[in-house]
Amino acid sequence: MAAAGLPPPPPPGAPPLSASIASPVRTSASWRESLSRDGVFYAFVAPFAILTILFGLWPIILSIQVSFTASATALKPNAAYVGFENYRAIFADPVFLASLGRTLAYTAAAVVANVAFALAVALLLDSKLIGRGRTFFKVAVFLPVVTPDVAGYVVWKWLYDRSFGAVNAALDLIGLPAFGGLASVGTVTIAILIAELWKHAGFYVIIFLANLAIRDRALDEAAAIDGATAWQRLVHVTLPQLRPALVINGVYALIQFLKTFTVVVVMTKGGPADTTNFVSYYAYQLFDQGRYGEATAMATVLFGIVAVLALTAYGIGERGDRR
Amino acid sequence: MRLGTLFAGAAVGLLLAAAPARAQELTVWHDLGDNGTQWFERLGAEFAKTNPGVTVKASSFPTDQWFGRVISALNTDTAPDLIYNNYERVIRIQTQTGKVSDLKGALGAITDKGFLAEDDLRVATFGGKMIILPVQRVQMALGVRKSWLDKVGETFPATWADVQRVAVKFREGDPDGNGKADTFAMALQAAKPRDLIHMLDLFTFGSGLRHTLVDPQGTIVIDEPEHAKVLVEFLKTYTTYGYVSPDTINHTFTDMYQLIEGGRGGMFRVGDWNVKKWDSQAIKGDFVVGPWPKFKADRGNAVVIGGMRGIAVPENSPKKALATAFAQFMLTKPAQQASLELVGAAVRKDLDTAALSDRQKFFADAKGTLVAYDFPESVHSWYPELEAAFHRKLMTALAAPPKDFEAFVKETAAEMRDLKAKLAAK
Amino acid sequence: MTASWPARLCAYAAASLIALLFLYPYWWMVLGAFRTTEAVMTAPLRLWPESLDLSVFGTIARVGGAPLWRYAANSVLITTASTVLAVLVTALGAYAIVRRHGHRVFDALRYGFLLTIMYPYMLLVIPVYIVMYKLGLLGSYTGMVLFLALGPIQFFLFEQFFRSIPPEVIEAAIIDGASEWQILFRVVLPMATPIVATVSIITFLLNWAQWFPVLVVSRSPDTYTLPVALLTINGELGTNFQGIMALAVLTTIPVTIVFLLAQKRVMAGMADGAVKG
Repeated sequence: MAAAGLPPPPPPGAPPLSASIASPVRTSASWRESLSRDGVFYAFVAPFAILTILFGLWPIILSIQVSFTASATALKPNAAYVGFENYRAIFADPVFLASLGRTLAYTAAAVVANVAFALAVALLLDSKLIGRGRTFFKVAVFLPVVTPDVAGYVVWKWLYDRSFGAVNAALDLIGLPAFGGLASVGTVTIAILIAELWKHAGFYVIIFLANLAIRDRALDEAAAIDGATAWQRLVHVTLPQLRPALVINGVYALIQFLKTFTVVVVMTKGGPADTTNFVSYYAYQLFDQGRYGEATAMATVLFGIVAVLALTAYGIGERGDRR
Repeated sequence: MRLGTLFAGAAVGLLLAAAPARAQELTVWHDLGDNGTQWFERLGAEFAKTNPGVTVKASSFPTDQWFGRVISALNTDTAPDLIYNNYERVIRIQTQTGKVSDLKGALGAITDKGFLAEDDLRVATFGGKMIILPVQRVQMALGVRKSWLDKVGETFPATWADVQRVAVKFREGDPDGNGKADTFAMALQAAKPRDLIHMLDLFTFGSGLRHTLVDPQGTIVIDEPEHAKVLVEFLKTYTTYGYVSPDTINHTFTDMYQLIEGGRGGMFRVGDWNVKKWDSQAIKGDFVVGPWPKFKADRGNAVVIGGMRGIAVPENSPKKALATAFAQFMLTKPAQQASLELVGAAVRKDLDTAALSDRQKFFADAKGTLVAYDFPESVHSWYPELEAAFHRKLMTALAAPPKDFEAFVKETAAEMRDLKAKLAAK
Repeated sequence: MTASWPARLCAYAAASLIALLFLYPYWWMVLGAFRTTEAVMTAPLRLWPESLDLSVFGTIARVGGAPLWRYAANSVLITTASTVLAVLVTALGAYAIVRRHGHRVFDALRYGFLLTIMYPYMLLVIPVYIVMYKLGLLGSYTGMVLFLALGPIQFFLFEQFFRSIPPEVIEAAIIDGASEWQILFRVVLPMATPIVATVSIITFLLNWAQWFPVLVVSRSPDTYTLPVALLTINGELGTNFQGIMALAVLTTIPVTIVFLLAQKRVMAGMADGAVKG
């Protein structure tokens, strides 16, 4: 149900009630009247609720339930419950622990790289230096976001290929040493990070651009008149105003990269030597081998990490906003 | 009353007449690609001659998808009527689901089955059940680009020394004549656990040895001198020798095929199922097929039998009786002839091979020595886990080649012994 | 304050380089589809095909046992149906949740929905398979369409829009004695045309790319969409590079066209759905 191409947004805070159509019932009509009006809203929300429950909440509950059963019996009507055995097993599995560490490290690197790159591109495109052609540049960077991920990664897979690929041919042309691409342990992580950056960065760019568009330019001009350098203005005037976009992009990227999956399925299958065997892919492999209990236990752990990190990051952002 | 009986009788008669003609569809899930789907379509048409109204709907899935799909379908009672794959994959389905039915009775009912040897039936049996009817013997040989051999003035390499000499010429002698040093001596695979071990199996069994990692008594054999030699040469082939594309560590069989069919790799695995396509497309017949290289002068080398592909009927197959009848039908002569023609493999020996190419005949007539896999997973329940650890260990050596491969093999053997003891104690 | 021309030149050079790097894979993909495998290996960087080799569309006419046109038709059917359903269901749902903000049931539903977004959805494969099985939807288009009808960005865009409607408008209608149905159809929906268009386009783009649910719910390649067929050919026996690139082109072209025609709306919509969410 979650859109594949896009990371889900953080849970938004409640909007100020006074500015919303949510309030009229409470403020202008009596409580009794509002109750009588609920019925029709139940009707409006029913299809949405049914789909959310059937294809969202129910599978999650099933999945968590399966994580407490023995794999061999997991899908049978009388599944054998084994308590936390699957959780104990995965935390005793060196491959899982390595995979978890790798996932966290990759996520950290990918979040920083994507947000920093997107910020740089957004500042460039927003600057007065770029006038004509701005839309073209924006479209170019954003196009991969709406390109089907399987297609994009298939192309990147072959771009990196040492026989077919354009990457090494280009490096060779300009006299640089060959890039190991997906084939070597030392380069595979950076290789998929680049492909993922190509796929996702455009999204973060437009968030930054949207934020830049509503910033108070007068502050910048005032600082310039006061003799601040461009760098000082960026750090002390522009960046603080970009706090909302930084928080949103940070949380989105965090959730996105913790769940890194399609790129691995298409490009590396977890290799070489398990270097890109991230948690979601490892769990999926166990699924395919019928080890449902351990796979769903891993899914639950990853779910917990995503939820905690996303809520924490969002909480930090919220506190900052209120300061 | 009589009128009523008459009507009832007529109704029953109509039903009986209609029943066989009622359209019934048998679904088969396999992983043989379009060739396989065509084969099942032809089998379906043939089967319909004796079973009017029956059609066969075959779906091909990439192997990893096939696993996940079959396992979850059998576990949730949404099984297809039939599944088709290598015996060891069906074993995995059986261990995960316990829902592959016993076909002993079905085989017993077949009179014309003299072509199935004791070994074939042993492979088909797991945990006392006959989980597949063996339909195709899986043979794998060494293939070499004919035009490349001609260009560098060599013939089909028989010994490992020959392979090494040819390999260097293939890499450096511009065998495809395009003026660039862009060819690889060999096209191999390593990305997934099975990929690498499978290649090692070919080297090992092809050299005449009988076990890759462990023998039936459970002894780890990899550091025994003859085994160690093959393993070391195998690892060096992937690493220090530079015979393969540097991407090989990450190559699945798809990538391997890309190199073979794209004319980049000179020596490669040829499976019986590859020949039909390679005779007409891609390589267009520009290859010679022979047994795997000899590693020791006094030990015969061989073509490797990678077990059997066979048809299995899930316990919860929706049309189990009809599915079983179809499985039996797959061993009849017309079905086997179609198998040979469309997929390049069969188990019957009385088939017409006149129309086949030399390369197809190489497999169909099975003239050379054949060495079969040892099927340790059917003897040792802990084998899959041990093999997974073995694969991981080998992958570390490919990712960062050790200075001393002999020492690496010793160290690996010690680790495998420890792990085996632990797993066997479970 | 006008920028100096050397600074402008540098900025344009940097922007052009980035755009080039982002667009090059597309061109390489298109070339790969029309050049023979041998030609690509000989000269991977060539910027123009030697000759237009169209043979590949013959070799990918059938993939995994089903004809190519079937995958394309499935893509169109599943994407269109799920988009229509998504807009209807999400618009009504978000509207009710916004109007009943503060009501325990509606707030709980909202949080339930947010929770489902955080789950690593690729790991829903087995439970979703079981759910589809229990509902008798395995292998059916219905199952795929229903599953694809919910997405976070659609919900947030509608929620944002409904929150932005001035309370006075609704209050006035209530005071005039309008029923909720009348308010919805006479007051809210006429205002919502632009957002419906935005959500429709974005949903179409996102659902076109979906491969995992389609793969999970399918019982045979007959219900695969183009991206799933691409994944299959990528993992199939002895496939060819040219065929993969050609299928990638077919998978990419429709969304590229839709996006280019509506780029402004799509980018603004996606930013809105995220920022205001």
